[in-house]
Amino acid sequence: MADRRRVNGPVGPTAPPVYNTAAHKPIAKEKADNSIRKIFLKTGVTPSASGSAYLELEDPKANSPSSTSLKLTCTVHGPRALPRSAPFSPHIILSTHVKYAPFATKQRRGYLRDSSERDLGVHLETALRGAIIADRWPKSGVDIIVTIIEGDQDRNAPENKSDEGWDMMNVLSGCITVASAAIADAGIDCVDTVAGGVAALVARQPNSPPAIVLDPAVSEYHKVFAACCVAYLPTRDEITNIWFKGQLPGADSMLYNRMVERSLVACRNANRVVITALNETVRPGKESA
Amino acid sequence: MAQSQLQQMIAVPGQLLGPSNKYVAGPGTHIHESNLYASLLGTVAVSQPPSSTSSKPTTTAGLAKRLHRIQAVLQSPSPTDKSSNGATTLPTISVAPPSGGAVGGSNEKREVLPEVHDVVLCRVTRIAPKQATVAILVVGDAVLEAEWQGVVRVQDVRATEKDRVRIYESFRPGDIVRAQVISLGDQANYYLSTASNELGVIMATSEAGNTMYPVSWKEYKDPETGLSESRKVAKPM
Repeated sequence: MADRRRVNGPVGPTAPPVYNTAAHKPIAKEKADNSIRKIFLKTGVTPSASGSAYLELEDPKANSPSSTSLKLTCTVHGPRALPRSAPFSPHIILSTHVKYAPFATKQRRGYLRDSSERDLGVHLETALRGAIIADRWPKSGVDIIVTIIEGDQDRNAPENKSDEGWDMMNVLSGCITVASAAIADAGIDCVDTVAGGVAALVARQPNSPPAIVLDPAVSEYHKVFAACCVAYLPTRDEITNIWFKGQLPGADSMLYNRMVERSLVACRNANRVVITALNETVRPGKESA
Repeated sequence: MAQSQLQQMIAVPGQLLGPSNKYVAGPGTHIHESNLYASLLGTVAVSQPPSSTSSKPTTTAGLAKRLHRIQAVLQSPSPTDKSSNGATTLPTISVAPPSGGAVGGSNEKREVLPEVHDVVLCRVTRIAPKQATVAILVVGDAVLEAEWQGVVRVQDVRATEKDRVRIYESFRPGDIVRAQVISLGDQANYYLSTASNELGVIMATSEAGNTMYPVSWKEYKDPETGLSESRKVAKPM
């Protein structure tokens, strides 16, 4: 008589599945140094939130089934009443939360926010605060929650390759872009649509000279010397947040300025995606009306 | 001309709408360096001021309504106007967010906040000798998604005989009250006033649990038991 009370193993011997070798790598669509990776952006993905957006970044060298390298979802809750303990505020209180999903990166993440996630949250708050017209909403608060479903990391990279955290730059720029779309979807007054962009100083090969590239897929390069993530308001021509990391070779003093200028180009490109996505948000409503 | 194009236009935040000496900024817009920009995502609406051509005769001819209370000056005319009503002839440009029906939200997604001078509907949650605490449910025509707390202080219940007002003779928990916002108040409460004939309790239930009808400016009557209870009654409209 078989044991029906618990889940039993198979009766006979079994063999582990053997897969064929992975499908041949598709020919890498070489990304030009002065372009950013393709962005998918859609608003209104979370019905329960006041505003929401979803962002995907294309992986130009896709050899995994998903063919993406970054997946972010952002929900905006509010404007809503502040908790009773909060003091009177004549403007909106912005609170941002950035959280990696436990499976988002090669290194598994915990459920509590760690220091890097809090760091991203602070950067995101600074970037958004410059764009929001805060005094249109007195006595209210808004929560902006970004969940990183897939971090911008190469899953096939060898385990021992040191992770220097350059992918956080790309994640932050994605967070800024997706939060900007979600805020506009929520109907919170903004002076402009803020967008994030990254430029990095990289060496492609061990002996190649350093070059500035936009939106670097970190695993494609031998070494990243420095990276710069900027949040930018294109209509106003204002920068709301800037995050520079790394060491610049001392020879060229204008290198820093050039990197910031290049990241502004990346911001403008990302902003065009935001504008298109927001136009698509409104258009179906217009046709039915 | 350009206005008809504008009306079909979708605006995203930061989009240039026009110079500020040709339009008046409406909801969903902001002014930056004497230009009007959109600050919301939505469709652009340009509205001409009501009776802009016939406004002059009506203001000069006929008796103006006598002012019987102090009112805040709502719109200060722009400093560039040369004629007396130059500011009012400008069309108002505004950005209205898309109606939520298409995006999946069944009702309107747009949040509104109670502002000073708004007429709100609220439910009385708690009464105390000095004040009645209410939950604001409706602002103007818009139903709020969040509940905001408000307070009607004893001196704001009615305009006359303020020293005789008793909160428990004016409101009871559960009543629906029409009130006007007089201040954004403190950290927790909006300050409301019912000091007007049109403001006060509009729906009330008796102690027996029946819906009552108003019989005078200070009484509601239960149709089944015949007992009357005192309230600050709003004039039926």
